[in-house]
Amino acid sequence: MNGPEHAIVVEDLVRTFKSFMSGSPEKVAVGGISFEVKKGEIFGILGPNGAGKTTTIKMLSGLLTPTSGKAMVLGMDVSDEKSVRSLRRRINIVAGGERGLYYRLSGRQNLEFFSDLYGIPKKEQKTLINGLLELVDLADAAEVKVENYSRGMKQRIHIARALINSPEILYLDEPTIGLDPEISRGIRGLVRKLSDGGATVILTTHYMFEAEELCDHMIIVSHGKVVGRGTVIEIKDSIADVSCIKVVTEADPAVAVAALRAEGLEAGVDALLNGRFVTKFAARKGDDALGSYEGLFAPFRVKSIGIEEPTLEDAYLTLVGGDAE
Amino acid sequence: MNHRAVVAGFKQQKIQFFSDPQWIIPSLVSPFLFTMVMLFLYGDDVDGPIVLQAVLGGGVLGMWANTLFASSFTISYDRMNGTLESIMVAPSSIYSILIGRSLWSTAIGLVNAVVVFVIAEVMFDADLTLANPVLFFVMLILTLFSLASVGMLIATAFIRTRMGRVLSTIAEYPIYVLSGALVPITVLPEGLRVFSYVLAPAWGIDAVKRAAIDGCESMFGVSMAVDVALLLALSSLLLAVAYVVTRRVERRMLETGSATRY
Ligand SMILES: Nc1ncnc2c1ncn2[C@@H]1O[C@H](COP(=O)(O)OP(=O)(O)OP(=O)(O)O)[C@@H](O)[C@H]1O
Ligand SMILES: [Mg+2]
Repeated sequence: MNGPEHAIVVEDLVRTFKSFMSGSPEKVAVGGISFEVKKGEIFGILGPNGAGKTTTIKMLSGLLTPTSGKAMVLGMDVSDEKSVRSLRRRINIVAGGERGLYYRLSGRQNLEFFSDLYGIPKKEQKTLINGLLELVDLADAAEVKVENYSRGMKQRIHIARALINSPEILYLDEPTIGLDPEISRGIRGLVRKLSDGGATVILTTHYMFEAEELCDHMIIVSHGKVVGRGTVIEIKDSIADVSCIKVVTEADPAVAVAALRAEGLEAGVDALLNGRFVTKFAARKGDDALGSYEGLFAPFRVKSIGIEEPTLEDAYLTLVGGDAE
Repeated sequence: MNHRAVVAGFKQQKIQFFSDPQWIIPSLVSPFLFTMVMLFLYGDDVDGPIVLQAVLGGGVLGMWANTLFASSFTISYDRMNGTLESIMVAPSSIYSILIGRSLWSTAIGLVNAVVVFVIAEVMFDADLTLANPVLFFVMLILTLFSLASVGMLIATAFIRTRMGRVLSTIAEYPIYVLSGALVPITVLPEGLRVFSYVLAPAWGIDAVKRAAIDGCESMFGVSMAVDVALLLALSSLLLAVAYVVTRRVERRMLETGSATRY
């Protein structure tokens, strides 16, 4: 399974941190995860805040030594200092949102600085940097200091910085967080382009549609463990024994929702502008779904009730919520 | 070491230096004030070796202040900016980048020394004839090199802490005294002088003073050749220690994940 077709093979990877309070047990950020990433694919790591996504990609980029377990990246062991040194030439990472750039340097000066660190030959440097500035659509702002950049521009120059060594693997930690829809779409387009160009991309995100649109395969992590994996379709199918029921009522069905939650079902209510209430919940298949629930909601004047195809978000919430840890 | 990273560090420090006015305080204002105070203290007697001594002291202080100021903050700045991780993920070692940045600060130290001289000449009309200008210049460059090596050690020792500025401010005045920049170290108690012996720039300052002032005695009671030999040996030692410290600190940061915390 560690064949040449794999860019990354992770086996039972663990990372713990010393607790901030002395005496209390170590914090388990990543608690034994395993997965593989094929060369050239876009691979998603999804999970709630604190699930261990960032910790995982830091270990895979040689910025954090694993506590135990094994991770081979491009055939090199990330626990080995020598391998990590040669790995650095072949990978790069965009993490940290707005931070991670020299504010008093212009976009171009930042790229020059980092291209020097990667030992890019002087005669290629200019062409490379101009190309990257074009790619991220910052050619016009190249001479402007980064402190004057908007958030979207900072994120794009970050990506250009991470492409300076033409990495075979690019790690992107929440690349579109806090960006407007148009810029985000541009960045997704860029990710696709890089992937088409042969790069392997590992991406963490909180946005389901982003994962759905981009990722060939993904894992869903929660509390440092993998709780779901596969393609989007496989992940949706993995909760196929669950039906998502949508009920529209005229009155607030708080009592019914409380009853559902008492049964251990994930249920959420949205109040609509037109005064109606939409309740969504996941019910086990086969328990004569609609019939029994129609009665429960009847006191709140049901306008409609039906079964919906699960979305990735439904699957995500079921998998993450169902993790008892 | 990687010369591209050294050059990158140098250029980056230069750009930041010019775009951030806070450097004016250590680089220009404090040596200026120091020299003024010294010259006023000596009052009418603005001539002869004492004045030259005062001016040299001011120049050396400027170089020290600049080294301490720049090197104690250099990595804290990266940590604050989030760039520490970006440079750690790159293949060059932090050591090479720091060498480049130190070289810039050292070059600015030279500008400091010149500024102090010019101020003394122009504003106080002091007689600053150097006994041996060529030797003086060579010794000044060597002293700057030794200052850079101290700067490197300070910079690497402070990679993991956020308190670099604070600690260097605390260390600032003792270092001035111990290096013989303010007063000849012969006036210090024996026990304290030991610290002067390991401060590489103290030997350089000794040599600089003697090259500038006719008949000036060595504060260590050694020949100039010994000054130079010890300066070179101690500076190389400091650089080697800084190298080992950087490597260890880099490894520790990968183990603890502390590169990102601010
Ligand atoms: N350097 C550290 N020291 C101590 N604890 C840490 C450190 N880094 C991460 N943790 C802890 O490990 C857990 C996982 O953190 P991580 O940043 O990997 O989560 P994440 O999935 O990226 O979350 P988010 O979506 O909020 O970015 C968290 O509980 C966090 O507090
Ligand atoms: Mg994160």
